[in-house]
Amino acid sequence: MLKRTGCFVLSLLLLAVGLAGCASFSAVSPHKTVWLDLFDTVSSLTVYGVDKADFEAGAKALHTRLTEYHQLFDIYHSYAGVNNLKTVNDNAGQPVAVPSEVLDLLEYGVSAYRRTGGRVNILFGAVLELWHDCRVTALETPVAALPEPAALQTAATHTDPAALVIDREAGTACLTDPLARLDVGAVAKGYAAELAATYIREELGWTSALLDMGGNVRAIGGKPTIGGQTPFTIGVQNPNTDSANAYLLTVGLQDMAAVTSGDYQRFFMVDGRQYAHIIDPDTLYPAAFVRAVTVVCPDSGLADVLSTALFTLPVEQGLALLRQFPEAQAVWVLTDGTLQYSDGFNAYKK
Amino acid sequence: MKTGRKKGDIWLVTAVLAVALCLFLLLWLLPGDGAAVEVTVDGAVYATLPLDTPTTLDIPGKNGCVGTLVIADGRATVTHATCPDRLCVRMGPVSRAGQSIVCLPGRIVVTVVGGTPAVDGEV
Ligand SMILES: [Zn+2]
Repeated sequence: MLKRTGCFVLSLLLLAVGLAGCASFSAVSPHKTVWLDLFDTVSSLTVYGVDKADFEAGAKALHTRLTEYHQLFDIYHSYAGVNNLKTVNDNAGQPVAVPSEVLDLLEYGVSAYRRTGGRVNILFGAVLELWHDCRVTALETPVAALPEPAALQTAATHTDPAALVIDREAGTACLTDPLARLDVGAVAKGYAAELAATYIREELGWTSALLDMGGNVRAIGGKPTIGGQTPFTIGVQNPNTDSANAYLLTVGLQDMAAVTSGDYQRFFMVDGRQYAHIIDPDTLYPAAFVRAVTVVCPDSGLADVLSTALFTLPVEQGLALLRQFPEAQAVWVLTDGTLQYSDGFNAYKK
Repeated sequence: MKTGRKKGDIWLVTAVLAVALCLFLLLWLLPGDGAAVEVTVDGAVYATLPLDTPTTLDIPGKNGCVGTLVIADGRATVTHATCPDRLCVRMGPVSRAGQSIVCLPGRIVVTVVGGTPAVDGEV
């Protein structure tokens, strides 16, 4: 009798340990791949609940798709046989035939201008070009100078969004102002991540995945758990990158996107002063109202747009803008390091 | 006797499930410092270094970029780099499982491995 009970206990225990092992093994062992060749940033894809072969085939197909967007939305490089945004910029003054994906992005960019009250403007390229050159020089050499105020003012007269004419029937985009330039830096990554999320869900049929495109994080479903899903845990980075606390807080994301705009990664130094890479459209100089702002909302494209827009505004005005987007919440890291939350942000805090 | 056995079974099953749950939670929730860093260049593993052994390694990346990786105090930092933007140098030290330093021009990725990451991603 005692022996039988002993055997019974032992086998149950073994079963339990096995189950626990399996459960945690499948839960903590997703498939992951990292891409370094998309949108001048680091991207990664993490997928749960698919086998290795399916993952590799799907990830490859997604990478091909994203490479296409990367090339089409590129304003710095040309690609053989592709009319992209650089082609439109280089041919400012005349219509350029571009694929419908480019027109879709441009229309999204135009709507972003309207929805953010002009804080995000894809026609701001003439101004951003000057800052881009300054930033590249500052990163690569010790001597760099800020753009000339007069040059910035002149460039700013070529940023009217009405200068972009999209002709769906002809399939063309045209900058009617020959000195106007497109820059989709605040829009393209988040927009592409959202397209990728739709592809992952609808074409690949994956229900538990995390796509990170240079800090544009999009959760497809949640993380598998016993009997369902739980939100992915996303750390909001500490702008003080050498601090022992890598994250200021963590948020839970399930079928949600999060994007941070901050002054601590793509910054550059001129004459010992630090400048953010996001330019305030009013002053034409790098915004310095806050250290960082993180936006959480269902659409990765909107999250990208809003985080940029909010970074160029004082918190109070940012809160006012955010109220027009009931589906979006934000947390700001103020210059003194304190955190400020929008009213509904608590739902995402972990 | 029969009912006694049944009662015992229920007690046993409960106890064993509780043990399983504890084990699961332990494995699942325990975040921790990673044990090592894995260095890849253009996707291929170049080196794996334990975090508890102070060392310095020059990583020859792509496009002529060389990154100097220093491991000290259980943390890994790219202290110098010959890449044009040197953004990798500014990414700060990493020590937690899942954290990484990336040199885009050099196609170098330094990832902390050997532990359960505290987060699934970061923004
Ligand atoms: Zn580098």
